[in-house]
Amino acid sequence: MNGVVTGGWNFVVAAYSVTGLVLLIYGVTIITRLRDEISRAAKER
Amino acid sequence: MAGEGVRGAMLIAALRKELLLQWRSRAQFMAVFVFGAAALLLFSFAVGPVAEMLRQFSAGFLWLGLLLSSTLTLAESFHAEMENRALEGLLLLPANPRALYYGKAIANWLQLILLGIALVPVMVILYDAGTTRVGSLIIVIALGTAGLSAPGTLYAAMTAQVRSKQTLLPLLLFPLIVPALLASVKATSLIILGDPMNQSSAWIILLVAFDAIYWSLCGLLFGRVVEE
Amino acid sequence: MKRNLFWLAIALLAAAVYFGLLVTIGDQYLHADLSLGLPVVARTLVAFLGGLAAVVILLIADDFSNLSRPKALGIAGVVFLLIGSYFGLFVAPPEQFMGETQRIMYVHVPTAWFALVAMTLAFAAAVVFLFGGNHDWDARLEASIEVGVVLAFLLCCQGAIWAKPTWGVWWDWDPRLTTTAVLLFAFLGILALRKFVDDPHRRAMWSAVATIIAYVDVPIVYFSVKWWNSLHQQQSSPNTVSKPFWIPLRANAFGILLLMMAFIMLRSRITALRLKHELAPPPALDEAELGEAV
Repeated sequence: MNGVVTGGWNFVVAAYSVTGLVLLIYGVTIITRLRDEISRAAKER
Repeated sequence: MAGEGVRGAMLIAALRKELLLQWRSRAQFMAVFVFGAAALLLFSFAVGPVAEMLRQFSAGFLWLGLLLSSTLTLAESFHAEMENRALEGLLLLPANPRALYYGKAIANWLQLILLGIALVPVMVILYDAGTTRVGSLIIVIALGTAGLSAPGTLYAAMTAQVRSKQTLLPLLLFPLIVPALLASVKATSLIILGDPMNQSSAWIILLVAFDAIYWSLCGLLFGRVVEE
Repeated sequence: MKRNLFWLAIALLAAAVYFGLLVTIGDQYLHADLSLGLPVVARTLVAFLGGLAAVVILLIADDFSNLSRPKALGIAGVVFLLIGSYFGLFVAPPEQFMGETQRIMYVHVPTAWFALVAMTLAFAAAVVFLFGGNHDWDARLEASIEVGVVLAFLLCCQGAIWAKPTWGVWWDWDPRLTTTAVLLFAFLGILALRKFVDDPHRRAMWSAVATIIAYVDVPIVYFSVKWWNSLHQQQSSPNTVSKPFWIPLRANAFGILLLMMAFIMLRSRITALRLKHELAPPPALDEAELGEAV
């Protein structure tokens, strides 16, 4: 070990992918749930 | 508004009622003790019959066992109220919800101290974790269980009125009491295994701070939890 | 009133982006001095305070009536994240000791900031609800807790991915990350509590109390884990980031800020609609209420 971290690209890609995926999936679930809630509220009237 | 003397009297009355209830259900205490002792036994099975390792972890096992048992004790402490819808009845009396809270929290605390002390011989035998510093050990048990009792009593009041109560109480309590758990385990471990660099004072201070913060905060907020 | 506040927040954000990001880009790549005479420290302060003030104003001014504003914020957030990630992955050089893994910091550090900000917004919402009883703040509470949980979960994932090549283990008991994990469980518990309480008043009151109790614990957990860990390891964590690394860091920070606010605002609307239904008077008594636009 010479004090330098080597071969990190895989982990970098993993980190960015996880970040993008989690934010994307969460965003999709919010929009889906919001649409459901709006249509449920509209039906009530 | 009630004056200091009346509030003090309400607290004493609440506390007496709680202790009386606990004395009447002392079979429950025995059951919880057996549960705690069984937990300590199971922990040894997780590690293996290696005396030196068990002794290293003995403080951790004691406090984990105590923590698991506390969920039973805390949940039980509101059982009487829930059985007969007595919670609403209590609140209709001109008694301060704060007195109700501190009465229950102190009673739970005393019960947990007793439980902790009762589990010490089990720990000594199973893990060869004896110590001569009994006074210090009791102090740590008192401070640690105080940290469990304050938020635990508040959460027990909430979850007693809810479905799925058995899961919710530990779910809410366990993350919260992490500092008290860490400090209690470290302080107990230093008592059992020796404390050459005198680190235990830092952990005791942490416990005292945690207890001070949560005994005041939970007392302040309890009124909101039981109001209609 | 609300409309003006929204644009005030946008103006504050624009100032923050200008002084926090654009000046550095101009300095680094265009060799132009865009700083308008403001020294570095002042610029960072303006960016930091401007961003925070914008977050608070957006939260307070949102009356759950408009869908296009949060959506626009979300899209802007994605754009900033793409810019920041591009700079972070392809433009910024590898670091001296950390090599390529330094690039993980460009998403990890902003996620950490805003996980804490989201939890703080939840705490603020809890306090405001306790004092005012306005259920709009209960909606904001639930939204901030959920977004905070998602960011905290993401933070733990990123932390593990960073720790493996750096320390050789998936979890190195770093005090900040361990505190985040404890917080994650605490706030998940509060979300679970909300699922099991049917009465909306009680649910709001209890979640507010539980949020305050959990948030007060954050510094205590941090210090206890720090002392607990310090007996075993002396680690240096990446603290200072030098100038060429600012650009991806700050671009991603603005991206996550905007995305976080978009998520909180949209998520609040879900709870607000549900609460409207739960708190509504019986139809026979008040037909006028149901005619309101969503």
